[in-house]
Amino acid sequence: MTSLRTVATVAMSVFRESVRDKVLYNLVAFAVLLMAASYLIGQLTAGQDIKIIKDLGLAAIATFGLMIAVFIGIGLVWKEVERRSIYSLLTKPLSRGEFIVGKYCGLGLTLAVNVVVMVVAWYAVLGYMAASVPAEVRAAWAAPATDPGMLRAVGLILVELMLVTAIALFFSTFSSPFLSAGLTLGLWVIGHFNADLKNFESVVDSRAAAWLAHGLYYVLPNFSAFDIKQQVVYAQPIPAAYLATTALYGVIYIALLLVASVAVFSRRDFK
Amino acid sequence: MRRVLTPVLLVLLMASAVGLQAMRERGGELPAGQDGLLYVRSPEALRRMSLSYHSILADVYWIRAVQVYGDTKLGRTADRSYGLLYPLLDLTTSLDPYFDVAYQFGALFLAEQPPAGPGRPDQAVTLLEKGLRAQPDDWRLHQAIGFVHYWSYQDYAAAADWFRRGSQLTGAPVWMGPLAAVTLAEGGNRKASRLIWQQILQSVSDDWFRKEADRRLKQLDAMDQLDTLTRVVATFEARQGRVPASWAELTRAGYVRGTIADPTGAPYRLEGRVVSLDPASPLLPLPKEQGRP
Amino acid sequence: MDAIRTEALTKHYQVGFWRPRPYLALEGVSLSVAQGEVFGFLGPNGAGKTTTLKLLMQLIYPTSGTAEILGLPVGAAAVKRRIGYLPENPYFYDHLTAEELLEYFASLFGYAGAERRQRASRLLDEVGIGAERRLQLRKFSKGMLQRVGIAQALVNDPEVVFFDEPMSGLDPLGRREIRQLILRLRDRGCTVFFSSHVLADAEALCSRVAIVARGRLVASGALSEILAFQVHGWELVVSQVTPAALECARKSGRVEKIVPLGPDRYAFDVPLTVAPEQLLGELTAAGAQLVSLTPLRETLEDFFVRQVAGATSDRGLE
Repeated sequence: MTSLRTVATVAMSVFRESVRDKVLYNLVAFAVLLMAASYLIGQLTAGQDIKIIKDLGLAAIATFGLMIAVFIGIGLVWKEVERRSIYSLLTKPLSRGEFIVGKYCGLGLTLAVNVVVMVVAWYAVLGYMAASVPAEVRAAWAAPATDPGMLRAVGLILVELMLVTAIALFFSTFSSPFLSAGLTLGLWVIGHFNADLKNFESVVDSRAAAWLAHGLYYVLPNFSAFDIKQQVVYAQPIPAAYLATTALYGVIYIALLLVASVAVFSRRDFK
Repeated sequence: MRRVLTPVLLVLLMASAVGLQAMRERGGELPAGQDGLLYVRSPEALRRMSLSYHSILADVYWIRAVQVYGDTKLGRTADRSYGLLYPLLDLTTSLDPYFDVAYQFGALFLAEQPPAGPGRPDQAVTLLEKGLRAQPDDWRLHQAIGFVHYWSYQDYAAAADWFRRGSQLTGAPVWMGPLAAVTLAEGGNRKASRLIWQQILQSVSDDWFRKEADRRLKQLDAMDQLDTLTRVVATFEARQGRVPASWAELTRAGYVRGTIADPTGAPYRLEGRVVSLDPASPLLPLPKEQGRP
Repeated sequence: MDAIRTEALTKHYQVGFWRPRPYLALEGVSLSVAQGEVFGFLGPNGAGKTTTLKLLMQLIYPTSGTAEILGLPVGAAAVKRRIGYLPENPYFYDHLTAEELLEYFASLFGYAGAERRQRASRLLDEVGIGAERRLQLRKFSKGMLQRVGIAQALVNDPEVVFFDEPMSGLDPLGRREIRQLILRLRDRGCTVFFSSHVLADAEALCSRVAIVARGRLVASGALSEILAFQVHGWELVVSQVTPAALECARKSGRVEKIVPLGPDRYAFDVPLTVAPEQLLGELTAAGAQLVSLTPLRETLEDFFVRQVAGATSDRGLE
């Protein structure tokens, strides 16, 4: 289907642009350095070094991924419109919808590659850690150092990042980068407080406010569901059903945002 | 001239900066009251603010707890009461309820009598009960509560009960069952105590845990040695009709041989008929025992 | 079938936040361009030229009216395959090289592999970009970007091309090259629609023009027709004019202007009402020699200024 090919062409163009972006390199290099440094930080933790390397690795992947998703996402569409490179692009046989989806997939690919690089560095440090301690210390760990089960947390982190990207892209179709960044990060923070929205009624007297909060709990993206970092560090069991439904939630919400983005973008006049 | 000036200036300024830093290090810093500050005390609030970074924040608080304990023990802080230890461990375990090591640390050191700890077994129990709410089937927590009852409250029946329940949980080591039995039968007896610490020494990998187990075993050895030496002194007194003047006299009389020192090398003191540890010995304070003053 | 056709194309913008008022960017523009023509779309700055082009490219949506290209509604995918567009002051992607940009656009048309590379290479040759094609676009000058812009508009061998200010940023050599390129396009059967405010280019290239001013179409038609009726006099150039003959011509009142072109060579501007043959006869009788007799046309510029000044509409609906 030529539509798919068009989307892929735009996506590869975005990917190529991000690969040539020095800022991105610096971010990833910093993340890798942090992984290496976590080995040293581990020495401070009175024997819990493997735990902190795992915790720090997951937190770094989540954080750097978030920064990439937001700061590239908010400019994805805005930059093209502002610089007017969109004039020559949209007059090619490319619908506005294909443009939006292509841009999104390009950034998604960039994110995935960056996450893979960070995961490889992380597992390298963990492997080194495991190799450099005696066997009885290894036996005492709750889970092996290079436990592949942790990839489940990375997987959900990636879905979360793709959702943040979709939010940033949505705002990018109609507002300036500054506002988009604020709104996207704001939604991310609120999405982590989701549980509190549900319990609003026990804190506040007004029924209307509690009702509103309850409604918002269902409507706003629930980011805390994607956080299984603590569980994988302790190799606790996570039902496959949970992983599937959470990932599905992410995918559906992403689809919703893409549809909305295409709708907004299709109606725009490029003055 | 110009070309030399810039590098020289840079070197001079760098040297001054380094020098000032060294001066600050030696005592120009602000009084230590600063490090007694915890900005967030409420575990719930902290958990809310941590926005999916719970685990790593727990690690940070854990590091801080260990450092506070170490610094206070070594006399580097102004506050000698270990006041921050419980709040820090509480925050650590609220952020990460599965952080077993933090519970164990709390169990051991919160209950320790000053100057080795704050002497608050009640805080240790609170902490462990919180841990059990999150992990009711964790044998390590059962073992830890058992400790607190054993050492601080000397409630051997309760301790044995906790050990027994712990021994029935998955992952529990094989010696926990027999330990419960021994505790029940001879609680307070050094034999049971020695058993506990020897098993710990063999089964844990954390450095601080092993050092603590080692120290406790040495304490038990010291108590044995104190008993032996007290008997020797009493024998001397019975035979000679007076107390020995010094260890040298006892050595000359053939009652004792070798250096009269505790397992850490600190010499024992002899005052009249009372034998005691050197006040500077790291084995102090010795654990309480039934029937001992 | 016309290459381009608009019917009462109108675009209003809402301006102002608290009490939005409409701003008439374009009002009821109807024009048609036949296939194979070179059509000049002229007007002063802010007249609505770029607005019209954007409406034709569906970068903006009309308030009312219709527009068709090759019989299909603008914005249709089938249309996009057959047209090319050069925006005003083009800007592309800093991080791509000229080659990569053209290959990217070519792949959007479905070209792949060797054909894509050849196409890009050929187009860059045609617009005069040499070894710089390997440099990233961020390093290109305005003139070079303009050339790249023209190249990307032609990547699919379009049947209709739309150029917004194609000569902008080019030096005289460049303008000449592009003029020749437009003529080559015409010779290939391509329809060229370009907007400009440089009338000399329009005069040299176009078969038909339209003039917009303040959002309204004020004139359109074949260039030859527009200018043919505007002969307003003759220019008579003679040499070997004796001072007596000169004095006589001046006094006769039939000559509007006398321009000395050299020693005893003069150009006489004669109004329409005067028969130039008569004056010529008198001068040759006095010994002068005819060099040339040419009709004085109004230039496009004169026509333009007259039309634009005459546009009486204003934009607000109050």
